[in-house]
Amino acid sequence: MISLLVLLSLQGPAPREVAIEQRLARELGLGVGDTVRVHREPGAVGTLMVVSAIYQARSDPATVLRNEFEARFHLADLARLLGAPDRIDRAGIRLQPGIAPDTAAHRLDRVAVGFRVRPSAEIASESSRTFLVVSRFHRAIGVISIVASAIFLLCIMLLKVEERRLDAAVMRMIGVRRRTVFVALLLEACLVALVGAAIGIGLAWASAEIINAYYGARFETDLRFAFLTPEIMLFGTLLSVVLGVLAGGTAAARLIRTSPLVLWRRG
Amino acid sequence: MILLAAKNLARHRVRNTLAGLGIAVAAALLLDMVMLAGGMERSFERMLLSRGFQIRLAPKGTLPFDTEATFPGGAALSGTLRADPRISAAGAVLGGALFNRVGDSLLPLAGLGVEPEGQGLYELERGADLVPGDTTGIVIGASVAARTGWKIGDTVRLSGGTDPQVARVRERRVMVRGVVHWLYESRGERTVGVTLPLIRALTGRSGDRVAMIMVKVARDADVEPVAADIRRLEPGVEVNSVATLIARFRTRLTYFRQLSLILGTISLFVGVLLVSTLLTITVNERLGEIATLRAIGVSRAGIVRRVLAEGALLSLAGNGLGLVLGLITARYLDGILTTFPGLPAAISFFVPERGAVLRAALALLAAGTLAGAWPAWRAARAPIAATLREEAT
Repeated sequence: MISLLVLLSLQGPAPREVAIEQRLARELGLGVGDTVRVHREPGAVGTLMVVSAIYQARSDPATVLRNEFEARFHLADLARLLGAPDRIDRAGIRLQPGIAPDTAAHRLDRVAVGFRVRPSAEIASESSRTFLVVSRFHRAIGVISIVASAIFLLCIMLLKVEERRLDAAVMRMIGVRRRTVFVALLLEACLVALVGAAIGIGLAWASAEIINAYYGARFETDLRFAFLTPEIMLFGTLLSVVLGVLAGGTAAARLIRTSPLVLWRRG
Repeated sequence: MILLAAKNLARHRVRNTLAGLGIAVAAALLLDMVMLAGGMERSFERMLLSRGFQIRLAPKGTLPFDTEATFPGGAALSGTLRADPRISAAGAVLGGALFNRVGDSLLPLAGLGVEPEGQGLYELERGADLVPGDTTGIVIGASVAARTGWKIGDTVRLSGGTDPQVARVRERRVMVRGVVHWLYESRGERTVGVTLPLIRALTGRSGDRVAMIMVKVARDADVEPVAADIRRLEPGVEVNSVATLIARFRTRLTYFRQLSLILGTISLFVGVLLVSTLLTITVNERLGEIATLRAIGVSRAGIVRRVLAEGALLSLAGNGLGLVLGLITARYLDGILTTFPGLPAAISFFVPERGAVLRAALALLAAGTLAGAWPAWRAARAPIAATLREEAT
């Protein structure tokens, strides 16, 4: 494990260079030109290094939850520091144009001992597996939420239309046609669903902002954790209207089939 | 009272069935979230303690096997620890990539070098275990046996890289001693176990560096004192007790805990809203009936009890169905989350425990009953004469 120790003055041989990320610089109060002693592990003899750059670390969703600090060294310096002068974790190969990465990687992998050779696309796909799992989980939770809200909406619409049975009875008694009563109730259901969807979108937008602000501050990152896309808004609105119309229509159809006198009595 | 409430609910079958279904889905989601909130930790704790090792030493600032970092003097330290009478077992572990040559291609394997006298990574299923100093033996898991077809007694070739000095592949012929169950192996991983000296020889690592030491303390009461003593003895090593590891794990899984809290609260809110809306409308419809009951001498408390009983009954019915739904959806959701790459197969996210199930059911039942409080209060406060007059006109 590498630890950094701030030194107040330069000592010993000419220091090497290290670049540190902004959060670490802030945490340790370091600036460009400061000298630090870098250890492989606590108690080991350290190496003096000069902070040559402070950079904004790239936001990476794969590591954001770890909340770890990052520092960059010249390869040779780090290898020397770790006591493994000729060892590397990974290396990239750029192929000549026209050579298929899959074929090249496969051929190399068959003969490579001590390391694996894989096309970049495969590594990218594997790295994104975590997010695919999270995405599948979110989708499943989303389906459960949609079922819950659909039932809720059906129930409310049913109650809402039933609440209008006196009005429906009066309309029928004064000669308003069944179809007109049905359309009026349906339009009302549609309006309620639309207003509900609009309020829902507003709530979703506010929640997304709160979530992004909270997690952004917590992990000191500019990553966005929640998105409200036009597709999601459209889906939410359509679902709400379809369910609203379906529930409102079912309840309204029951209402207009019932005799106005019965409706009046039940009211 | 309950019978009366049931009869009242039966008067509006369609809407009450819908409300019951809504409560059931809300209850299912609430149950899932309660299971998710505590399940991960319990499952992780069970996995850590599956062989009774309560302490893990790792390179300073890291979690065991979270990075490829190692620390020096590992085998010497585990020997010192084994000499402590409070410690019943201790063993160092070192990981490394190993390969099996099949024809002209290589099969990559995850190699773990252990000290057989104090290993806590596997349980022997059949065959023989490794013994200290065994530099020609290997133990394999079921996944490796299935992939390679290796059987106990087979001699196989293992390599761990090339030696840069002589440009030769470091390769050994080893015999499969036994088939084991790896406690921390992730799905799709192919793990093989050898002794510490053999993995060092295969991967070309010199010195006494290890990735982790597992320590089993004889008495649970001694775990913290032993951990404190090791911290004093080896300040350059991270000493993780199970409690420390769980705390670190909890931090990593903050997202899931917060998600479960938010979704659990929303489910509870949806349940309350459903019961409360339904009872408000029901009470409004039955104001005349309630006023008549009051007129013939039924007390206000009696009216409140009746309305509350309806809410409780509706919640109870929803809860029953919700419990079944919740267990089914939890299984499905767990199936999704346990496909996380690198996650040990022993970890579950949704652990159905009696306490969690009971807590979720009670919370929803209490919330559903209380949701009827406002309509019940309105029903009890309705003016008798005015309501009856209004109903009559």
